[in-house]
Amino acid sequence: MYIAVAAIGLAFVIVVALAASLRWRKLAAGENRVVLSGGGTGGHVNPALAIAEGIKAREPGTRFLYIGVRNKAESVIVRRTGYELRFVLSEGYPGLRPSLRTVRFLVKAGIGVAQSIVLLMVFAPRWIIATGGYVSAPVIAAALILKKLGIGHVRIFLHEQNSIPGQLNALMGKWVDKVLLTFPQTISFFPNGKVVGYPIRTSILPAPGDEARARLSFPIPPGRETVFIFGGSQGARTINRAVVDALHYLLPYRNRLFVIHGTGLASSAEYDAAADTQKRLERSLSPGERALLEGFYYRQDYFHNIADVYSASSLIVCRSGAGSLNEISRIGKPALLIPKANLPGDHQVMNARAMKSAGAADLLFEDTIREDGALLEKVDGKVLADKIVALLDNPARLAEMAEKSQHFLRRRAIERIVNELYDEKRFHDGNGSQPVPFKDLASNSRLLHVLSAAYNRMGQDFDPLAAIGDADDLAYYRHRAAGLLCYETWQDRNLGVKLIGLTRYRDKIPTLLEMLSDRTPVSRIKRLFGGDFEQVGFIRRNIVQALRVLDHFDGEVERHLMLALSDSYFEVRSEACRTIAHFGPCLAGSAAWMEALLKRLEDRCFEVVIEAAVALGEVGDAATARALLALNESHYWQVRNAALRGIRRLIDRGVIEPSTELLEGTSAFILTSTDFKPHFPIKETYTAIRNASRKRSGQPAGADSRTEKPVRKVQ
Amino acid sequence: MIYELCKLLIPLSDFFSFLRLVNYISFRAIMSALTAVIFIFLFSKPFILFVHRHCFLDQVRETGVHSAYDKSGTPTMGGVLIIGGVLISMAIWGNWHSPFLLCCLGGMLWFGLLGLWDDVSKVRMKSGDRGLSERTKLIMQGLFGLIFAWISVGPLAPLGSSLATKVYIPFYKYPLFDAGPLFYGLFILLFVVFVSNAVNITDGLDGLAITPSIFVVVVLGVFAYVEGNRIYSAYLYYPYLRGAGELTIFAAAFLGACLGFLWYNAYPAQIFMGDTGSLAIGGTMAVMSVLLKQEMLFPLLGGLFITEALTSQIQDKIGVRWIGRRIFFRAPLHHNLQHKGIAETKVVIRLWIMAGILALISLATLKLR
Repeated sequence: MYIAVAAIGLAFVIVVALAASLRWRKLAAGENRVVLSGGGTGGHVNPALAIAEGIKAREPGTRFLYIGVRNKAESVIVRRTGYELRFVLSEGYPGLRPSLRTVRFLVKAGIGVAQSIVLLMVFAPRWIIATGGYVSAPVIAAALILKKLGIGHVRIFLHEQNSIPGQLNALMGKWVDKVLLTFPQTISFFPNGKVVGYPIRTSILPAPGDEARARLSFPIPPGRETVFIFGGSQGARTINRAVVDALHYLLPYRNRLFVIHGTGLASSAEYDAAADTQKRLERSLSPGERALLEGFYYRQDYFHNIADVYSASSLIVCRSGAGSLNEISRIGKPALLIPKANLPGDHQVMNARAMKSAGAADLLFEDTIREDGALLEKVDGKVLADKIVALLDNPARLAEMAEKSQHFLRRRAIERIVNELYDEKRFHDGNGSQPVPFKDLASNSRLLHVLSAAYNRMGQDFDPLAAIGDADDLAYYRHRAAGLLCYETWQDRNLGVKLIGLTRYRDKIPTLLEMLSDRTPVSRIKRLFGGDFEQVGFIRRNIVQALRVLDHFDGEVERHLMLALSDSYFEVRSEACRTIAHFGPCLAGSAAWMEALLKRLEDRCFEVVIEAAVALGEVGDAATARALLALNESHYWQVRNAALRGIRRLIDRGVIEPSTELLEGTSAFILTSTDFKPHFPIKETYTAIRNASRKRSGQPAGADSRTEKPVRKVQ
Repeated sequence: MIYELCKLLIPLSDFFSFLRLVNYISFRAIMSALTAVIFIFLFSKPFILFVHRHCFLDQVRETGVHSAYDKSGTPTMGGVLIIGGVLISMAIWGNWHSPFLLCCLGGMLWFGLLGLWDDVSKVRMKSGDRGLSERTKLIMQGLFGLIFAWISVGPLAPLGSSLATKVYIPFYKYPLFDAGPLFYGLFILLFVVFVSNAVNITDGLDGLAITPSIFVVVVLGVFAYVEGNRIYSAYLYYPYLRGAGELTIFAAAFLGACLGFLWYNAYPAQIFMGDTGSLAIGGTMAVMSVLLKQEMLFPLLGGLFITEALTSQIQDKIGVRWIGRRIFFRAPLHHNLQHKGIAETKVVIRLWIMAGILALISLATLKLR
């Protein structure tokens, strides 16, 4: 019975599949049918529409089906184009760690794939053009399944807009027919990739400023320089808030300036762009100031005629998504870019850096702060306002940036893409393309490694700029490091402290000092095991160490160092002594410091005593010599050694004179030592030869490289 | 081989009666120790040369410290020599049918191969920090622990089922209680994993792990002799373990191999034992103590290894990873002593002395019960 039902069911499925396959072949061979998919943000939707325009120009009869996700950018943008629009379920990939979100993702993705299979079988497209964003994943998966089953006769193209592909694109890209790339660097991720550039809709065309202004739905008073600020199609909270904050500082220029603000379409519970901006406006500007905004500031959620807004503006302030950059380049406008921080691969920073190095943009990095317990990115309103005014005050530079902007990116991307779709080799490659300079941004741990190696090599001559090589990168690294200080886990904060020191981010010294003296206790259970404060021992130790690297001394630093000298954690005390020795020239002869250090000579931890004795050599006077001589019978040879070093330093500094008394004092020292340095003549000779040959061949002298090569030929 | 041959020959004719010598454990023990040490003396130099030529050298750990005194570049995997010496010696002088011996050899080989895998992958990855992941190591160690626990408490128990799950503690004659197969098996599993890692951690200075291992193994060998002897065990109130005397011979072979290795491993070392050696030694010691019902004596007998492991784990897991401060100046113990300004050679000898004292106290528990 059951077998019969199953057999009939199976036969039915096979018949349907065969019919679908035949129908598909017939339909695809007839008129051109194309499925477009991609969305979430305008950055994914617009390239899909641009490609559609390119196909339509070639084959006007083409039928399009757009598959997207409900309530996202595509549901607004695509509707206006008149293409057929269908929705499927999908969700962002939550990452590898299993959680409830993973389950939800799998369920939604499963339903999305099933929906896509039905849609594809009905529509029977010849091509699928996916432009990324999580919506395209179920569509591609469905198409791949249908292809594998022999039902789908379709070619799948994936367009990647960013220099670093997202996780889903990186995975799907392996199986699709061709990956179309914006940046030449990305080709290393996709063996089946082809660099075509970023397709821009034909409606994005430069127009003379006056014409563009005339076409706008709102009036711009004549003679104003217009600044267009927006955070992408969805809007960016950081930018929206910064604009509102900046208005206060821009108001004095209201006779010269006009600000156009695109708030974005986001209207989720998490962030409602329009409402949040309105609230912020009411809170941060007085009613009198708000009255002045008329004729100076215009706000709208989304501009369908964005090309006109671009053309009417003298300066564009925005995120550095690939879409925005390419559009700006197409229009040829100067930009002030605020890359979104904390993204995988820092790809917005990479994009922004590329445009900056082409001379077409200026950069502003956002800070990461903690507000009401949540991590937020923030751009200070005054900083933004100052930067805008400074740029507008320099018309020559703006003109130069505008000129360079036009040559920033690869042109004729649509033609290249159409060429790939029709599998033609006609397109003469290489025209109008300009390679994008590409250097990886270092991860935090890599940065720490590079900088601390440089610091260890150069000591106080260390210059983070020289080690990193680029002022903008350094600025970004500094912002990133400062962001780490807000994190919940102490390991992140600790890393931030080290990086702030090594990037010499002196603006953050007050923050570090505050953390150093922060006495918020940790949980009871941690205290039971020897923990003390939220800013754990390692953080405090590294702050004191960072102060030395930062090499900046003032009253506040002095006050907090004094507190650190009696910290409950021994490493903080000993590091404090070392830092005091470092700032010795500023502190020499100070009675308070000598008293504090003399107290440290009785510390119960020998490490602290050692560092205190050395520090006394730097800051002490004749009286301290006696205290150092009293260490002559210390149990630890390092303490005795440190006392002698301190005395020697006192003599070098001319604080005490060599005398018979001193001779007597030092002769009372126990000179036996439990440690020694071994001396391996063969290793020394070997190292000498290696270093000499390396100098010749230009390799850096360094550690033994014998272990670097895994297999050496047997002679 | 010789033992097995003699067993075959003796019944054949009176001419072979002198071969009855092999029935004496003392004779076979001495012979096996000599065999092992001679094996190592013969093969060490060619082995070191072989290791050097194939670049199986100790890799730099990414601590950021480079000095002319660091030891990276010293040939490693010396554990292969130790294991080889013991195996050869046991092949010649061992009773191949003894379950005691087979358990010990199995443990030594399993952990030795695991260590070899780790050593080779460290060399492959060119970094002392990137051998096998901690998890893989623990899984593989646990797997052996599981098998061995099953053998010890299951139907194959070499001790017999009446004794297998009884808990004995030092300085007390009678079994404290019967832990039951499940609980006792779990204890064995954890014990084996812990001890093998403890030796691995201790192996940080030239000659530091090898000599205390000799002390431990020799004391265990004495225990094996007593417990395997009907008269002595009755006299000292130990449960009589038939066939445990075979472990005395194994211990002697181990002693010989370790002495031979120390010849080259003493400061400044020409070869390191590597994870191959340290894991194998640790695994063997753990298996031996369990088989001789001396697992509760081990915290005292191998107190040095236990201290090293505990300091290292407390510093790393509680201090550095969790509460964010150092609890000891440095960890494990030997690095702490070095940090306090004691030279490597002196640290090693002092810890040998401590290990020797602990071994003497442990030996005293033979009578003091």
